[in-house]
Amino acid sequence: MTTVIGVDVGGTFTDLVLHDAATGEIRVAKQPTTPSAPERGVLAAVDAAVPRDLLARCRHFVHGTTVGLNALLERRGATVGLITTAGFRDVLEIRRGDRDDPYDLFWTPPPPLVPRRLRLEVAERVAADGSVVRDLEPDDVRRAAEVFAAEGVDAVAIVLVNSYANPEHEKRAAELLTAAGFGGPISLSHEVSGEYREYERTCTTVVDAFVRHRMGPYLHNLDRELRERGFAGELLVTRSGGGALTLAEAAARPFETILSGPVAGAAATARLAASLRLGTAVAADVGGTSFDTALIEDGRLPLLYQGEVVGLPLQSPWVDVRSVGAGGGSVAYADAGGLLRVGPRSAGADPGPACYQRGGAEPTVTDAALHLGMIPRGHISGGIELSAEAAARALAPLAGPTGIDGVDAVAVGVIKIAAAHMAQAVRGVTVERGVDPRGAAVVAFGGAGPVFGCLLADELDVDTVVVPPNAGNFSAVGLVQADIVRSAARTMVRPLDDEALPLVERVARELFERLAQPGAVREVDLDLRHRGQEHTLTIPVRLGEDDVAAVSARFSEAYHRAFGHTLPDPLEIVTVRATGRVVLDTDRPMVPAPPSGEGGAGTTRLWSFRRGGWTEAPVVWREDLTGVAEGPLLVVEPTATTYVDAGFAAEAHASGCLMITRKDRP
Amino acid sequence: MTIVRTRYAEVHPGLGDGADPVTTEIIRQGLNAAADQMKQSLIRTAFSPIIYEALDFAVAFYDADMCMLAQAPTLPAFMGTLGFCVREAVEGVGGPAALSPGDVILYNDPYGTGSHPQDAAMVVPIFHEDELVAYSAIKAHWLDIGGKDPYCTDTVDVYQEGTIFPGVKLYDAGRLVSDVYRMILANSRMPEMVIGDINAMVAGARTGAEALGALVRRHGLDTFRRCVARMYAHGEALVRGWFERLPDGVYQASSVIDSDGVNGTPIPFGVRVVVDGSSVTVDLTDCPDQVGGPVNCPLPSTVAAVRIAVAFLAGAGEQPNEGHFRPLELVTRLGSLFHPVKPAPCFMYGIPSDHAIELIIRALAEAVPGSAPAASGGDINALVWWGNREATGEPWADGAPHPVGQGASPLGDGASALMYISESATRFTPAEVWEARNPWRIERLALAEDSGGPGRHRGGLGLDLSFRILEDQYLTSGLARTALEPWGLKGGLPGRPNRLTVEYPDGRTEDFSLKTRIFLPKGSVVHLRTGSGGGYGPPEERDPEAVRADLREGYITREHAARHYPHAL
Repeated sequence: MTTVIGVDVGGTFTDLVLHDAATGEIRVAKQPTTPSAPERGVLAAVDAAVPRDLLARCRHFVHGTTVGLNALLERRGATVGLITTAGFRDVLEIRRGDRDDPYDLFWTPPPPLVPRRLRLEVAERVAADGSVVRDLEPDDVRRAAEVFAAEGVDAVAIVLVNSYANPEHEKRAAELLTAAGFGGPISLSHEVSGEYREYERTCTTVVDAFVRHRMGPYLHNLDRELRERGFAGELLVTRSGGGALTLAEAAARPFETILSGPVAGAAATARLAASLRLGTAVAADVGGTSFDTALIEDGRLPLLYQGEVVGLPLQSPWVDVRSVGAGGGSVAYADAGGLLRVGPRSAGADPGPACYQRGGAEPTVTDAALHLGMIPRGHISGGIELSAEAAARALAPLAGPTGIDGVDAVAVGVIKIAAAHMAQAVRGVTVERGVDPRGAAVVAFGGAGPVFGCLLADELDVDTVVVPPNAGNFSAVGLVQADIVRSAARTMVRPLDDEALPLVERVARELFERLAQPGAVREVDLDLRHRGQEHTLTIPVRLGEDDVAAVSARFSEAYHRAFGHTLPDPLEIVTVRATGRVVLDTDRPMVPAPPSGEGGAGTTRLWSFRRGGWTEAPVVWREDLTGVAEGPLLVVEPTATTYVDAGFAAEAHASGCLMITRKDRP
Repeated sequence: MTIVRTRYAEVHPGLGDGADPVTTEIIRQGLNAAADQMKQSLIRTAFSPIIYEALDFAVAFYDADMCMLAQAPTLPAFMGTLGFCVREAVEGVGGPAALSPGDVILYNDPYGTGSHPQDAAMVVPIFHEDELVAYSAIKAHWLDIGGKDPYCTDTVDVYQEGTIFPGVKLYDAGRLVSDVYRMILANSRMPEMVIGDINAMVAGARTGAEALGALVRRHGLDTFRRCVARMYAHGEALVRGWFERLPDGVYQASSVIDSDGVNGTPIPFGVRVVVDGSSVTVDLTDCPDQVGGPVNCPLPSTVAAVRIAVAFLAGAGEQPNEGHFRPLELVTRLGSLFHPVKPAPCFMYGIPSDHAIELIIRALAEAVPGSAPAASGGDINALVWWGNREATGEPWADGAPHPVGQGASPLGDGASALMYISESATRFTPAEVWEARNPWRIERLALAEDSGGPGRHRGGLGLDLSFRILEDQYLTSGLARTALEPWGLKGGLPGRPNRLTVEYPDGRTEDFSLKTRIFLPKGSVVHLRTGSGGGYGPPEERDPEAVRADLREGYITREHAARHYPHAL
């Protein structure tokens, strides 16, 4: 067992979690995020929560950063030049011709990351089968180098048509560019992505060139600061596709880190689901502004291979976490037609819900929960005094325009609508993958997740809700459990037949060579489809063991599960994916949070949704809960509150989890 | 002369009074989410790129009274069109009493779907405790279902356009009716693609039916019905609220369609929009009698065009239901271009319908100044390709719409290279995917410099796309708006119209607009130059810095700047 520190930089707070090998203890801390220089917030959290001797003992420092994301959001990055095939200069600007909002007549895409004058064409052409149609014209590259020098270009992206099938021209162009005196970083599309679709690959390569400029210096600077404080371990950076990258890899492939924000919660759920043998689990993370959900099957993270961030597609693995605007701060309002609506707009952390009394007057989900006694009246973490009066004052005006009778009914309506939004997001991630949510366990976490666990169980017709230890900081716990993961892919469209698997093996070998990870567990997946279809399913293969029949059978099974039918049509390989995983530590027990020291529970008046009315219910500190307790009751801990309705029973499980079981259906 | 008024009134007045607003909102969201599940299922399993890339399909739920419960956002062109075809499909098999659980009805009569026979609908009745409560419906574009050609621009009656299934059961109580199935396959040039798409549509419609059935079970039928009635009233109130902001009056605009594809004569028509309080009437009677070529627009698509135009202007961020359409009335003339009578040909119905959308928007620009942009390239520029592969003899086909420049507006320059608004959710295929699939090499995929209509705000640029043809093949061009220049507004100048040129191996070139079955010998190059947007405001008022920026980035040339913006040089 090793000591690991995880630090996740969020929009509002920088969260630190420490797993101490000596005691097995998990410790958490929070500092305000410092957007202009995020490393200051990170270091402040370290200075506040980690004694020097502990930092010196720490083996891994796992960092979730938004530096790449912010560079894109703020459009502050390198001045990028693009070299592309003659005739294709405008790919980045033409995009795919669609609109973010199909009903907006005036919609205009954001300006491309590389302006037109810095997108330069070179004569060359490779066909889809990799054959060379026209050789690369070296003078065109040299001319581009001159323009880039005159325009002060910091980084260059080289994206040539069909380079996924034959990368020689891209490599040669990079050599010529360097020989012509360009000294900055060069991103080659076949190294960044290796997949077809020129707009998406161009965009990914340009993003890589754009953010690398900020990411490298930031990470090196942070590493140096940590070492000055005595840290002697390894700095790791979380990946959009789960796991973490080493510092050198993250600096070289920064686009792989851009969508890592919501991944930690899903990763923590996957670990928990594996250790509890949950089979099918649904992560239900209710934060201040959003509800994030992911489907975990057999402890595996759900992966997608194309993401999108601020309207820019990225060909990079990412964990399929869906967000809807239904969090504690989501604002409730009456629309012009007299219906009660909730979200997606949020009051955020500042001014926050009306009950915070920090200037927010709009009613939010948190106000409704407080009014109904689902959150104990009094304190929440951060020391903000919650005002039930302010909550009621904010909710009351919604009654008139909606025709709802009284504040209680408004609050009940807000909670029910928020829960329905959450349940629909869960149905989205399950039904699309052919999974019936009724067989799943709901893992409820985040500040407000455990408040909604029972409501979600009834909405989804689910019988088990799991509230993990440290429920309010559970996402950060996912950080200290990360493995080192690297992956690479290459598009290779061809039939899945007897000659195909040896070819796959060769491509996989080349990809693993590029990943260069000694000691890694190697995994190969194939994107497969029926010939004639476009969309693929990603299917694991065991090279050297599987034959075509075995791979086909696995595909058919997955296809049937997802779509409810099978087809006799022949299969086609589209992309080969290679993943190397270095498992850092297999034995990291989940230790419950230490007692808060605040005793004094009692009873409270709360709304039972099952009974449709107010009821007196006990309030129990989480560490005091022994045996089985029947709802209605509230279980409180420093970072979260668990609302257990009538018809449910809560039990403290040996794992440290609170297991909530539905005794009867509504 | 028969004038027809199409409008939709409340079906069970008062049913929604007193329905719980919270449950209503939960059911409304649930219906929209269920429609979206149906859409995702179809996209992920479809075989035809026209479905999964171009999103050329519609998915919706209707209640037992044929009122639209929800529709997932796909092609705006299909908004609210499925009502006619669900009704006709059910009538075709003998009415609601003839339906049982497990049925799937196939329907593709153009006069009920509003489009061509390729657009086939599957309708699944949804039962709750033995009672018929709703329908799920999918209409999607099949690559081929007979007809004189896979895609037709020169038909003279609807019978040449494809095999018609006037509402027949494809599944009867869960059992495949193999006689019907075999007839479909026997009438298609690409039966394997069609089989795949049929399976995808059936799976999608059933997915939707299950999701909706679960929603009814969760809330109970009585609550469901009362909340749905309140949901319709809510939608109606929202749209009436928007319409009340328009000043009362009569607003008009007129334009000309290039040709009917057969006789080559231009077709003038006009729109008249009457705003009266919270109601809007769109009159499309000012048009010729139904024409001899396939640009007639059957009533369901005329209704859709009007709904789309109004939705764009009313700022409908909401997924629509029946209630949203109630404040809108359509006036047409039976036997005319916008309300033809069978068997008038209508394969290219999208040409008049797309044109009408932009013209209604132009008319209403007077009602709400600044609410409408100048004209765009104005067409989806559909190209359909097919042939047999040289090496294997295997048949192949592909088809796609292509983006155009958008009109400038008071808000700023028009966007370059976006799909026409009736297909605004559609993405066009990457060149690398095309080249991996079809015998082509894309030689140019670029913005057309100097193409944007000059003005204080410049029109968006059109697209230049060149396909080198690597094996013998055929092309059908569905191009419209090749003669009419995209209009500018308030002193802005027009953009360029759409154009398709074939450069043959012997150096000869020829332009085409609506043309079926153009033979392309190996070595030809097809140049598609899509239309650009019109300008807004006089060019001499353009900010000199904006002109210099356009020059610097190469969106315009020095000659163009000297001609239209001398003040900036």
